[in-house]
Amino acid sequence: MICCKECIDLLYDYIEGSLDQDTSKSLEEHFEECPPCIAFLNTYKSTTTICRDTLNQIEIPDEVRRALQSFLKEQKGQQDKK
Amino acid sequence: MSFTQQKEDREIEEALVRDLQAGNLDAYDKIAELYQKKIYALSFNLMRNQMDAQDVTQEVLLTLFRKINTFQGKSAFSSWVYRITLNASYMKLRSKKKEPNISIDELLPSFNGAGFQQEKIQDWSENTESLLFTNETREVINKAVGLLPEKEKVVFLLRDVEGLSTEKVSEILDLTIPAVKSRLHRARLFLRKKLSGYFEEYNSQKGET
Ligand SMILES: [Zn+2]
Repeated sequence: MICCKECIDLLYDYIEGSLDQDTSKSLEEHFEECPPCIAFLNTYKSTTTICRDTLNQIEIPDEVRRALQSFLKEQKGQQDKK
Repeated sequence: MSFTQQKEDREIEEALVRDLQAGNLDAYDKIAELYQKKIYALSFNLMRNQMDAQDVTQEVLLTLFRKINTFQGKSAFSSWVYRITLNASYMKLRSKKKEPNISIDELLPSFNGAGFQQEKIQDWSENTESLLFTNETREVINKAVGLLPEKEKVVFLLRDVEGLSTEKVSEILDLTIPAVKSRLHRARLFLRKKLSGYFEEYNSQKGET
């Protein structure tokens, strides 16, 4: 049986689905016997999801949007004069 | 992203670059419309400061307009945009006082001599929902990401947050695919550990009441 260290080293490729069948199988066998690694797998996956959901929420604030707009207008004006 | 979507994006990008290189001023607005949110979000996530992110976004847009003739199309236009955004953000960060980095190795999992887990692992993955959108949780997540070393942080932001493919991230950062994967894996391990402390404490408090 593979050990926990090997199991965790393989997590990335396991989630990507890029492990070959044999490796995938021995990993799943490990999971069956090792609840801590299942907990690790679940929280490893959750980490990505909750970080993405949190950091993805960034919107440009209105005042920044306005500043960018007038900046663009200014730049275009300068280009026009050339 | 589907193949046709990718192809369409690529075509839109190419047309835009041509317009911009030809000095078409309408292309300015289109570029801004298409990229300013990506530029702002990435630089904000790197610097955690609205004013700095605004400065960087302006600077990047300006660079795109001024340097468009140096863009040779060897990589995707969007990769070029991301690279300029990263450079501008790093310049800005360097001009400020830097907080000392903590070592990522301290937060990687530890094993006993036989390679088995040494710490108790709690599965908090089912219990995050109610907590997710509280300000406190958001703060914890932002802080944890902020603590990531620069190399791991940028890979994490591009790949996991921005959702770009491994190949694209390797193009933007000029890294090999295995290097992107290993940095991303380390970033996830680091963040998992950081977040575990928070969610486990929350779960145990909930258990007491
Ligand atoms: Zn295990």
